[in-house]
Amino acid sequence: MKNLLKKVFKHWELFLVIFLILEFVIFGAANPKFLRPKSIMNSIVNYISVCIISLFVTLVMITGGIDIQAPSIIGLTSIIIGVLWSDAGMNVWVATLIAVVVAALCGALSGFFIAYCGVQPMVVTLGGSFLYSGLALLVSGFSATPAYKGISGFPGKNEAGEFISFRFLGKGTLFGIPMQIVIYIALIILCIWILHKTKYGEKLYLIGVNQQAAEYSGINTRATIMSTYVLSAVSAALAGTLLTANVNSAKYNLGSGYTLAIITAIVLGGTLNTGGKGSILGTVLASLIICILRYGLPLCFDVDTQNLDLPVGIVLVLVVLGREIAGQGILQKWFKKKKV
Amino acid sequence: MSKVKNLFNARWMSSLIFLLALFLITGIADPSFLKYSSIISCFNSATMYTLLAVGIAFVIMTGEIDVSIGATLGITAAMTGMIAQQGGSVISMLAACIATGAAVGLVNGTGVAYFGVPSLIFTLGTNSVIRGLIYILTDGRTIENFGGVIASYGNKTIAAEITVYYAIAVVLVVIAHYVLTKTRKGKYFIAVGDNAGGANLVGISVLGTKILAYVLCGMFAGLGGFVFASKYGQVMTVAGNGYEMTAIAACVIGGISLSGGLGNMVGAAIGAVIMSSISRLLVFIGLPATYNNTITGVMLIVIVVADSLAQRRSIEMARRKRLLSRTAENPEGGEKA
Repeated sequence: MKNLLKKVFKHWELFLVIFLILEFVIFGAANPKFLRPKSIMNSIVNYISVCIISLFVTLVMITGGIDIQAPSIIGLTSIIIGVLWSDAGMNVWVATLIAVVVAALCGALSGFFIAYCGVQPMVVTLGGSFLYSGLALLVSGFSATPAYKGISGFPGKNEAGEFISFRFLGKGTLFGIPMQIVIYIALIILCIWILHKTKYGEKLYLIGVNQQAAEYSGINTRATIMSTYVLSAVSAALAGTLLTANVNSAKYNLGSGYTLAIITAIVLGGTLNTGGKGSILGTVLASLIICILRYGLPLCFDVDTQNLDLPVGIVLVLVVLGREIAGQGILQKWFKKKKV
Repeated sequence: MSKVKNLFNARWMSSLIFLLALFLITGIADPSFLKYSSIISCFNSATMYTLLAVGIAFVIMTGEIDVSIGATLGITAAMTGMIAQQGGSVISMLAACIATGAAVGLVNGTGVAYFGVPSLIFTLGTNSVIRGLIYILTDGRTIENFGGVIASYGNKTIAAEITVYYAIAVVLVVIAHYVLTKTRKGKYFIAVGDNAGGANLVGISVLGTKILAYVLCGMFAGLGGFVFASKYGQVMTVAGNGYEMTAIAACVIGGISLSGGLGNMVGAAIGAVIMSSISRLLVFIGLPATYNNTITGVMLIVIVVADSLAQRRSIEMARRKRLLSRTAENPEGGEKA
């Protein structure tokens, strides 16, 4: 039994899959309404920003860094799209492109300080989160719309009431699946390919294990580390675009408060925050677990939607404690003590 | 040894100089700022952040981190408010705040030091749990309208316009600074953060020191919660949200290294004053408050990048010096050194 437990905790993804299935079984038994595919997909759409960003922040964490600025880039992207489209009169796609480029520059700036100046990632991205959310607020000042209202009325509904163009990204469906989830699946495949199939991915792991050794073996560690921050910033920009298209409103503070949710999803997925270990599959499973938990608890057990932090926090604490206890053999130590 | 001491001095001195420069720039932009009352109010408004920053400084010095202090502040503030509504005494409020903070710290410390969960992850979890508990405790309502002595304490001054709370905070900073630099147990915090393995070898209990650091951190956050309730007179369920990031930033600005083993309490306290007075100074400079986050972010990044480059330079210089002296004294080889 103990060995089985150890094995399950060793194959972390297996544990996560079991956990996810258990969630479906319990919630499904408690309330059959839970199992409607449409509601499940909607719950994922509601949490899509965290899902998407956590994919790419996983890459950052594998190199031993951390990125807590990504959520502030959601708001920055959103407000840039809004201001360029509504007040500067640009095409909405050009505006989106510019916003993504700006986000990439933001990521590159933080990445530069981290990789080339050797400052701790947490500090730089903490500064970055202040800076970029501040910039978003400043950009919102250029708009004729008051900042708290948000810029709305994006193009994208034809006469038949179907979503097209920009809003298709947020509300449209492809073969009955929401467009956001289609994009999410594409990004998952892209990430798995990057991390597990390319040389670039191998470099990330090596840097996470031992940056010095990676440098000596001929890897340009600095450029590689910087690139991970650019990637995570671009993913945040993408999430910001999808969120703007979904809620049909460009606001400077979209996505604020996602920081801890993103980190939770990644560490629950088994990625070490010291670097060198982690997988995309784990992150995906963990973000789905949190997502289903947040959707299922209010529906089946009448938990207040305002108070979903508590169960998510309890799951996180118990799971990481369990992992450490199983991994270090602390249980065995206790048993041995009792025998003596 | 004296070199190391100089470095410590330089680290908090530079943040003090930075604070004075900030005041001076503001004074040039608007001379009416350079009054005793407006400068002292910058310090007074920093009370909560000072308490949080000093508390988390213990944890950061041991090389760990605690992102649950914002939530701890929130729950203790809510408790204070609820006790005040029922007409409880100040002593019972303080006891509840400190005991709750210590309990949270004990849980964090046990999870991090005993079970070996990475500190960011574990405190992230307890952060969510405490936020949830706040919601259960208050039923999702804002705690307000609590009368009694506590509401009147908020802006009471002790002497020369210094509020009672800031005076107490300063005393605590001084005590913490003294303990850290002059006592044997206090030096353990820095030793553990600098080199946990080495500290263990010379007989310092790494486990005990880290748990103690978390307990102290929680107690300071609890005091912060008491001040919060007393100062604002109402506690929302999201009270203290994001305060942990500001406290960490204050420590970083005050010269405490996030990798542990470096820094002191005076720096943390000065950093807290810098962080909390930015918005006040902007008003005097004439910029709208919307610039607040931008300037804070730029300042934080500039300070840490400059600090990191300066440190790298000093290490490089020391290495070069060592090499040069070795070759000058003993041309054949480096055996003597």
